[in-house]
Amino acid sequence: MSPLFQGWLKLSESQRFLVVTAPVVLFLALFFLVPLGSILVVSFWRTESYQLITDWNLQNYIDVLTEPSYRTFMLRSVLTALIVSLSCVALAWPIAYFVIRHGGRYKLLLVVGLAVPFLTGIVLRVIALQGVLGPIGLLNMGLMHLGLPPFEALMYTKTATVVGLVYLYLPFVTTAIYLSLLNFNFRLLDAAKVFGAGNMRAFWEITWPLNWVGTVIGFALTFVPSLAASITPRFLGGADGTLFGMAMGSQFSATGTWSLGAAMGVVLFFVAGLTLFTISRLIDLKRSGFTGAGGRD
Amino acid sequence: MSKFTKTGAITRRSMLKGSGTLALAGAMSALPSPFIRNAEAATLEIRALMWEPYVLPAMIAEFEAEHGVKFTTTFFDGNSEAYNKLKLGGTRDFDLAQADGFWSRLYSREGLIRDIDLSKISSMDNVFPAFTAPEYELLTEETSGAAIGVPFCWGGYGITYNADEVSEEEVSSLGVLFDAEKAGHLSASARFEENIALAAILVTARMGTQGDPRPDGKPFNPYVLTDAELDGVQALLIEQKGLLMTRYQDLGTLNNLMRSGIVWAAPEFSQVFRQLQQLKREGKRVPNIQHRLQAEEGGLGWIDSWMVTSGVEDSEKLEVCHRYLDTILRPEHMKAIADKAGTSTCVDIRDLSTEEERELFLMDRTAELKGLHMFDQPSSPEKWERVWSNMEAA
Repeated sequence: MSPLFQGWLKLSESQRFLVVTAPVVLFLALFFLVPLGSILVVSFWRTESYQLITDWNLQNYIDVLTEPSYRTFMLRSVLTALIVSLSCVALAWPIAYFVIRHGGRYKLLLVVGLAVPFLTGIVLRVIALQGVLGPIGLLNMGLMHLGLPPFEALMYTKTATVVGLVYLYLPFVTTAIYLSLLNFNFRLLDAAKVFGAGNMRAFWEITWPLNWVGTVIGFALTFVPSLAASITPRFLGGADGTLFGMAMGSQFSATGTWSLGAAMGVVLFFVAGLTLFTISRLIDLKRSGFTGAGGRD
Repeated sequence: MSKFTKTGAITRRSMLKGSGTLALAGAMSALPSPFIRNAEAATLEIRALMWEPYVLPAMIAEFEAEHGVKFTTTFFDGNSEAYNKLKLGGTRDFDLAQADGFWSRLYSREGLIRDIDLSKISSMDNVFPAFTAPEYELLTEETSGAAIGVPFCWGGYGITYNADEVSEEEVSSLGVLFDAEKAGHLSASARFEENIALAAILVTARMGTQGDPRPDGKPFNPYVLTDAELDGVQALLIEQKGLLMTRYQDLGTLNNLMRSGIVWAAPEFSQVFRQLQQLKREGKRVPNIQHRLQAEEGGLGWIDSWMVTSGVEDSEKLEVCHRYLDTILRPEHMKAIADKAGTSTCVDIRDLSTEEERELFLMDRTAELKGLHMFDQPSSPEKWERVWSNMEAA
């Protein structure tokens, strides 16, 4: 037995817990809490002609919360994130269900296949999508060849942004639902049918609630990044498609108003946090059959 | 059997042998270390912070071989990004930096760059007079008048237009970019400063305030505006938003939109104009694309420059930096940059260019620079940000 292992055995349970969690805590402190803290500090300063002035004030927050433009950006972002997340859930369910029920031995391969677009960068994927949806993209060129007018709803519009975000985040939701269905006992459906439930009733009363956790996790995995989306609306959204994340990004690059950008970041963080909290309240672990919380009841 | 396949247990002999080898290697690396360090120091490294399209790998390789130095590059997209890099201690990380317009003077005021000696840069003789002091003063220190950079490329922010759809008369005014009759066939860049400044030229011309006493007491500059003028700009930009097909993020997008005939007019650096002219010369099907450098109300222009950072204190390194500036400004290298980046050069390369290139790269129109307002720092980035946000949210 090595001395290291002997030393490990001598440690109390709480000491072992400390040893195991210390690297994680250190990592989070260094790369999450410190940057977040610095953003928080800067948000209470002000910028003047590309200079950060360490003049403590609340003006940035007053601006973000009271100026109609920033409220509009936030409203647009929340609406976009909602539409994208709900669309992703609606699309991901049949895909995940099909893979589980009919994927056979290719199940894993099919799910891994969903991740293939992730082998490229997000900018490349969005630009590729622009090549499909744009005025001279594949879709519109095809329509024009058929003598039809171009599909203007997808040319630099908010709809194009939604399509782009759904394309980007659908694999996350599908994987979350797939993993949930993987542990689902489908014999429960047979039992329900024996007692006279139709396919739809069995789905809504058994499959859906028992996979609620996976669905909600997929929803959250889409909602939060969609809320902060910057690149997709920039390339696909057109002149009228500015979202909160995009406006926030430009504070740190083009306009050089860093402290306002920092305040926008903090507000975004809280909106995302509030959303996650609300979502967590929606989950009835007991009803969903989730057993990962440590107890059975 | 190969000798590399021989394996076995670790013996005391092999341990001793291994330890001895390690100890010897350690001693070898420790003992002659001063000599090794000297050898490393002999390879001087010149680190440039620059725009990617201006890199000439062949020229850099030649320069490295000629001067026995290593030249490394770091790229940036916008001036503010480069400024942030230099502000956050980057003067120790970079020896040479690029910027345009007023940024050189801002760098100088903040001690991020140092004076240079133009007498050591004989290639400056090839620079058009329009880009040197006293004609162009943004590359001199404000009080001492010392040189703080060398110019190398220039351009305007004129209107590229489809001459089959937009007449020459229409494009003589900036109003064409806000013309409701061309709704859905206009585009503008995503650059907030230049959109506001260009709109400001039109707004102030319509308001008749260009000749009025200015807030800074200086002649009219579209980057220094009164609140009333900014209100006018905001209203005009909101009006324009509904007319735009999109705000292009990159030149490739504008190229596609103009080539397909969807967009008829857009302000740009004239690179798309040149790209499409080139395609036309190659026999490709392209609309009749033309470029107007300056409208009757005025126009915007820019000059890209090279500077030496204040981190360069060592005389040997400073000397190499001067030689680099001298090398890059040679006409053959500037011609290569024009060909690669599609920009006009501040160096006279007419002897190396065809008649077509002379016209395309505005080589005989450098005097027009005087009528252009140089890219500048907004008088209040905070107020400009609000104008831009209000427009985007409207």
